[in-house]
Amino acid sequence: MQSSIEGGPAFAYINIDLDPGETVIGESDAMSSMAADLDLDAKFNGGFFGGLAKAFLGGESLFVNHFTNNTNGPRRVTLVQGTPGNTRAVQLNGQEYCLQPGAYIASTPGVTLGVKWAGFKSWFAKEGLFKLTVSGQGTVWYGAYGGLLEKDVDGEYIVDTSHLVAYEPQMKLNIQLAGGLFSSFFGGEGFVTRVEGKGKIIVQTRSLSGLADWVNPRLW
Amino acid sequence: MQIDVTHRPGNSAAKVTLQPGETITAEGGAMIAMSGHMQVETTTHKKGEGSIVGALKRLVSGESLFLNHFTPAGAPGEIFFGTALSGDMMEYNLNGPGLMVQGGSYVASAPSVNMDIQWQGFGKTLFSGESMFLIHLTGMGPVILNSFGAIYPIQVNGEYIVDTGHIVAFEESLTYEVSKAGKSWLSSFLGGEGLVCRFRGQGTVWCQSHNAGSFGAAIGPSLKPR
Repeated sequence: MQSSIEGGPAFAYINIDLDPGETVIGESDAMSSMAADLDLDAKFNGGFFGGLAKAFLGGESLFVNHFTNNTNGPRRVTLVQGTPGNTRAVQLNGQEYCLQPGAYIASTPGVTLGVKWAGFKSWFAKEGLFKLTVSGQGTVWYGAYGGLLEKDVDGEYIVDTSHLVAYEPQMKLNIQLAGGLFSSFFGGEGFVTRVEGKGKIIVQTRSLSGLADWVNPRLW
Repeated sequence: MQIDVTHRPGNSAAKVTLQPGETITAEGGAMIAMSGHMQVETTTHKKGEGSIVGALKRLVSGESLFLNHFTPAGAPGEIFFGTALSGDMMEYNLNGPGLMVQGGSYVASAPSVNMDIQWQGFGKTLFSGESMFLIHLTGMGPVILNSFGAIYPIQVNGEYIVDTGHIVAFEESLTYEVSKAGKSWLSSFLGGEGLVCRFRGQGTVWCQSHNAGSFGAAIGPSLKPR
């Protein structure tokens, strides 16, 4: 399997060239184009109950698409997320990785998707009550609205609510005020997420809720 | 006539430089800036021909009811075209075979380019949830198209599938049918792909990396009801 992320950072999309017999799994509606002789099968996202859990708790689709190359040559499928922005690939080698609901785009078959309780703090941080976890062996592609900042955290770091896209599972999330009471509410920052631990976090430079907050007062 | 696409790919604009007497025709609302001595004529049809029926067809295809014709008076002039969604633009020179353009991707064209709307059938449009209206461009001369996101070309040799929301334009040499994405209809709908365009033959399809419908579905629930 060969893959490349093109069009980034503004309009990233993923070209995946499948060798004969290979499969890649993409979230619902992620396919923008593909070779006509690839097989496309919609399947529950991790079984019926698993799919339900991911759909209602993890912000993902109930079904995912399996793209399989049953021909005898390489075939291409192009996948993309719903929003403009950047996309990253992460290689899993037994470790786990946590994603913001909705960030998942595609994965290779050795990767398992799960939902875990993230807690009220996470919900308060506009990151959802549940978090999506990916684990196993293989590649996961994920993305977000805007650019993606990578930050090595050792100790603690502050991220604005709704901007955290991905983090390693040992990182602890806490919600807090951005500053004092006055500056938090009048300075426009409100609540922020405090990330604690040692590991990598990925932050999106824009957020859909930020865009919605900007658009909403202008709708009549 | 000289066309330069600037600010690619995120915020692209097309700069068109016209000699006196030269005209460019554009979709209503596409002009963002122009020389002061540019003459503007607004019609519901191609300059010198066409009818109100053609204009209505354009309206249902997701384009504006009106076309504007820009001509500099006396001296060379320039005009910039932009679009509402962020994304790339491309220039295509018609030279013989026609071009099929997805409704909404058309920005502007030279007067020597003819335009006709082709409706893809009620059932197909209804089920695909997209305006599968295509604008059929024929004749000679430059055309300016826009996209949501980046534009990537696919050289079709045989058969290729493109999601209906990702088509910008394709060469007339390709035949196409709107069909299911997977092996079964159930799989296509459950998997969220719905209808796709299946191209056959030899030619180029220009795809847009992003689907405006998907972006709308992502932001829509966060917007307050009007």
